[in-house]
Amino acid sequence: MGDGDEYLLKKCGLKFDPPSLVLAYVDMKTNKLRRRTMPLRDFHKNSKLEEFITELKSAKHGQFVKLIPRGQLVRLLTIVKDKLNGMSLEASLARNSELEKIDPEENLNKVDDETLQRKKLQMDALFEKNRKKPGDPGFEYDIEVDFENQVKIESSGWDSDGSDPEF
Amino acid sequence: MDGYKPQQLSTYALTLFNYKTEVNKQSVSVDFWDTAGQERFNNMHPSYYHQAHACVIVFDATRKITYKNLPDWLKELREYRPEIPCLCAANKIDADPNVTKRSFGFAKKHNMPFYYVSASEGTNVVKLFKDAIKAAVAYKNNPTDFMDEIMMELENFELETDKSKEDKEEVSDSGLDSPKSHTDDKPDS
Repeated sequence: MGDGDEYLLKKCGLKFDPPSLVLAYVDMKTNKLRRRTMPLRDFHKNSKLEEFITELKSAKHGQFVKLIPRGQLVRLLTIVKDKLNGMSLEASLARNSELEKIDPEENLNKVDDETLQRKKLQMDALFEKNRKKPGDPGFEYDIEVDFENQVKIESSGWDSDGSDPEF
Repeated sequence: MDGYKPQQLSTYALTLFNYKTEVNKQSVSVDFWDTAGQERFNNMHPSYYHQAHACVIVFDATRKITYKNLPDWLKELREYRPEIPCLCAANKIDADPNVTKRSFGFAKKHNMPFYYVSASEGTNVVKLFKDAIKAAVAYKNNPTDFMDEIMMELENFELETDKSKEDKEEVSDSGLDSPKSHTDDKPDS
């Protein structure tokens, strides 16, 4: 089967000098905890994350890079990039938390591309976490649940705040 | 639904799925048009509305702003397609099951069928799409929009050489998520 079954990712993090990804994972064949440091060669302050990730995944450590959830990988690389651009670690961590925060009132059609990307990655992570796809235990093709005829105990409150005359 | 053929034409920010099915023992070819991020431009390209026979308008039940944006998207739809059936769905009920106990007035106000769905877990997704296809076919067979009537006349004129019916359905996302993740899920299965 795929790499996902050979190794179980436990932790991932960063080293700054030189910029490297650090992974702790269990090798399922030997059941041993391993640690791997992967230098981020050719990563610059102007590197495009998407392209860089694609390259990383096809390079020497590719199968290990693939273990890292995309949202987390983007976060780690963004922190390195911020550092290369002279930002303090604290400032970068704060910036990254902000990028990942989902505000139910924020119109994401109006934010910049980086913000949208980061928030989408957060939402994708939830999608993947709850996702049932063909082959998964408990997968059903057609799940019908009638919520419409359930008694509604409350209004959503989203209709009545007077902020929109259309409602 | 094994017949979906996802086709990504990123240059045109367009994602199309074709799906063959039957409605009342009649074979139907459905084109699903995914919004593919176009909502970023604050409106959809007019080609999205061209000859669409149904619309699924979706909001994220965990994010109020997407619900609040529905009137604007509906308004745009109605400028192009005043009469086509429109179905409304509250997505992400997996993230907060309590939303299914809450009522949302928008769909009722505009006389739309309403669905609580989870694209992630699959809840009511097939139901929503089946209903949308049925509504699209019913509308296409009995259009109330002037242009559609003309189109139907022309089609009848071209006669029964082409047996399959082409229906187009627009999947509008109200905004903000990766619309792909909503619609790819089931259709790919």
